[in-house]
Amino acid sequence: MNLTDEDEALIAAALNGSTYAWEKLVKRYESKIYNHGLRLMGNSTDAMDLMQEVFLGVYRNLHRFRGDAKFSSWIFRIAYNKAVDLGRRKRLFSSHTRVGEQEEMDVLESIPGGASFEPEKMVVDQEQNQRIIAMLGKLPIEQRLIVELKVFQAKTFQEIADVQDVSENTVKTRFYTALKKLKVASEENHVLS
Amino acid sequence: MSCPKTEHLLQEYFADDLAPLTREEMENHLRFCDHCSAELEALMLAQSSLNHWQDQRVPHWDRGMELFRREHRVPSPGFSFWSKLQWVPSAASFAMLAILLLNVTVVSSDSGISISFGANKIESALLESRLFAFEQQQEADMDELVQRFEDRQDSNNIELLQAVIDQTQQTTAENLDLIYAFFEQQRLQDLEDMRLGYQELVDSDYATIRSLQQIAQFVSYQGDIR
Ligand SMILES: [Zn+2]
Repeated sequence: MNLTDEDEALIAAALNGSTYAWEKLVKRYESKIYNHGLRLMGNSTDAMDLMQEVFLGVYRNLHRFRGDAKFSSWIFRIAYNKAVDLGRRKRLFSSHTRVGEQEEMDVLESIPGGASFEPEKMVVDQEQNQRIIAMLGKLPIEQRLIVELKVFQAKTFQEIADVQDVSENTVKTRFYTALKKLKVASEENHVLS
Repeated sequence: MSCPKTEHLLQEYFADDLAPLTREEMENHLRFCDHCSAELEALMLAQSSLNHWQDQRVPHWDRGMELFRREHRVPSPGFSFWSKLQWVPSAASFAMLAILLLNVTVVSSDSGISISFGANKIESALLESRLFAFEQQQEADMDELVQRFEDRQDSNNIELLQAVIDQTQQTTAENLDLIYAFFEQQRLQDLEDMRLGYQELVDSDYATIRSLQQIAQFVSYQGDIR
């Protein structure tokens, strides 16, 4: 039984009311989603909020899960939507988002990289992780999401394009732009440290 | 020493599905163009610095278990008490028993002995005949009596039960589980004590005041354990 099959077995059991199956399903993905949240939101409080909303979303929509996509893709799609929601709700405006340099304006552009990325607010224990969060914080969220999906989730540009509902070329351009910013950020990091 | 190809080339370099020919062309260019190769190296360094991420442990959380249990009507350990309210009749019978025990009074006078159970007075002659009947059929009668204790519900019992519930409403369900366990244990013990009490009454020489005083002491002792 591979992981995907196991996921589906757990989902079926959870839909039948098995608390054991539900807990096992959550345990299987909570770390991925939490760390995903840490990188996207920049602090553990928002990461927890995101994770809880994701699993609530999973719970509410479990009966709609068809199994034509992998559960892991499905849950990250929910995570993506929740991250966008959460960012929008928080209405934090990033000093790093310079609208002028974005080719396309969409709702994602107004979502911050900013206020929640203050290092003193972070409860992130590994120094290495703090640096990564600081680097990612330089990116507007739509680029951060692309980096997240491309680098951490190893998705293809086409998959990312589907999730973000933009063209594959746009994703490639954004990823390249993001990498250039990360390059600058990592050079600053090295100067500082 | 900039290069007009950098932007397009590097953007495509990270593509997932480069044709082998395109890939080869790209690498030929990179081999000879310092600008593009330096730029690519820097980008890859930036990307690789992200790979040092170490997964952090998820802080403790409920995992949605409470919601899941609630919506699937699975009794959660903390709340099972409320889902099985069958403790109520048991508590009621215990409360009633307590009232009964507390209301028992034994009065001796020149005209005879009377034991009063609350409002119902039983004359000694009647008691004697009742006790004599007990001797014949104690088991059956006791069972009936016990059954009556359990079945009877009057306003006093309900009031007492209400008072008990009111007092314990603030406490957690877990505590109530303990109270329930205590009630149940107490009830069983009291019924057994009651049975023994009657047994004692039947076995003793109940023509004398002394034995009835013993009963009275026994009964008041029962009241004290409340
Ligand atoms: Zn070049």
